Amino acid sequence: MVVRGLQAVSKAQNGIGAFILQCKRLEFNFCDVGGSSRGMKGFLRTRLATFAKENPQIEIVVAPRPHKHPIIRGTYINNREKVVCVRNLEVLQVLQKAELLRDASGVKLKKINKPVQSLNESVRGIWSPYHAKGDDVYKV
Amino acid sequence: MKRVSQATWDFLIVPRRCICGNPLALGDLLPSAFSSTARPSSSSSTIRSLVRPSQKPKARLLHTSTPLSVIPKAQPTQSAKLAALHGRLELPNKYPLTTLGRALIDPTAEPQHHLNNNSLSTVGNVLLGYYASEYLMVTYPRLPYAILKAAMEGYIGHKALAAVGTGWGVEAAFAPGTTVDPGLLQFNRLAPGTPWVPPYAGGLGFNPPMRQRKMMPPFEHNPSLEKQMAAEPEAMRRAWAAAARGKQDAIPLEGAMANFVRATVGGVYLHAGGLLATKEFVSAHILSRKLDVDKLFQFEQPTRELSRLCVREGFQQPIARLEKETGRYSRHPVFIVGVYSGEEKLGEGQGGSLPEAKIKAAISALKGWYLYSPVTGVDLPSKTDAEPDAPFSPSFIDVGDVVS
Repeated sequence: MVVRGLQAVSKAQNGIGAFILQCKRLEFNFCDVGGSSRGMKGFLRTRLATFAKENPQIEIVVAPRPHKHPIIRGTYINNREKVVCVRNLEVLQVLQKAELLRDASGVKLKKINKPVQSLNESVRGIWSPYHAKGDDVYKV
Repeated sequence: MKRVSQATWDFLIVPRRCICGNPLALGDLLPSAFSSTARPSSSSSTIRSLVRPSQKPKARLLHTSTPLSVIPKAQPTQSAKLAALHGRLELPNKYPLTTLGRALIDPTAEPQHHLNNNSLSTVGNVLLGYYASEYLMVTYPRLPYAILKAAMEGYIGHKALAAVGTGWGVEAAFAPGTTVDPGLLQFNRLAPGTPWVPPYAGGLGFNPPMRQRKMMPPFEHNPSLEKQMAAEPEAMRRAWAAAARGKQDAIPLEGAMANFVRATVGGVYLHAGGLLATKEFVSAHILSRKLDVDKLFQFEQPTRELSRLCVREGFQQPIARLEKETGRYSRHPVFIVGVYSGEEKLGEGQGGSLPEAKIKAAISALKGWYLYSPVTGVDLPSKTDAEPDAPFSPSFIDVGDVVS
């Protein structure tokens, strides 16, 4: 055999082709007696059905969490979780938090310094001292 | 072996095709569809036949009016996980949740072929092989067969498909059982350390893998082969035999996830609009992924292969010329070698020694030849699937690999 093939696995590029929303589950926890859950309960009564209809990609779970502050727990495709406490928040503020969790990617927050992140190699190539000529020797 | 939920098999509503491909008539379905409530005796016989698959069930004549075992409808439609997965993949409403739920049931969890994803994944594998191979052959018409196979494996092999399934957010059940959510992948897990042979190795359009690819008469005494066979562990031999029969009772997560992705593609073909929708789905989810085909090559004798290629194509014999060098007698010399055929420069390589640079130059020249890709104006053969009269410009067809 003259040439052999090496094993490789294709890498995902979410958004090129199909886009998969990274938030796969949102869990809304509330307390029946606690005052800090007032806004959350209002959200569950008035806004949750619309929110769920607008985001069919997300599995929505509503569960009581007695004698605790209300929280929203987002689970992501990379199996990480993001939890936001929504104590004493109004209905629209709870909705904002739910949208924040929906739009998050689930990866740890980190500072991104480069303007572009890509799997592709640079189109221009790497500067080589052996190929530059004349006045261009030190130009990148 | 644990089995998937049978409590819900009573809800016999969704029709399916029988083994021979004939669609079931509604009249055949109705008595059985209501049998679970109206006729408890026939319903219980159905369940018994499901519970004990080892015994030959009497009521397996699928296109008669005997009780049918069909896809459960009630429970999958109640699963939030399954509905969310359906939404995440942006599947149309025509694609029933029951089919998606069935795609999540591996043959190792439920051996009855009409309740597991075996048939769906077979259809999906065929379609995936079709679209991946046509894409690669049209994009890189000169790709050697070995590289084409490796690239197919990179796009639609079980590892790549398992990564696709994980990227869709599919989770696996700990073990198949009656209380498992229908939105979880159900399969029988392979014990750690047990060998496993993936089915469909090499994707579609390629021959099934053969264990011994030796050019020798089969019954002749051959000490080296016998020694090799004896050294092969018994477990590995059993795994090969099971794969050859197509009957494996356990599967790793990777394999089950890949089967699920294949079955989903099969479901798109069957429910969501045929070949056109499948092509869009496959290109959006699988062929849009990144695979560097130029990193799949491993040459044995690149300089010799380049020389044979030039002879075959009628080019002048390739000559390696030193273009630049620095620090020949230092600890880190650098040589730039170009390989030329007459006046034409075929490739260039850089190395720490003259032979290394020469070999790299030959590799670059060979990759330049093999990775030729038509820029524009070439259509995929599947273009004519949707509209047979569409204008079609065929791709370039190469004579094949260089054999030296």
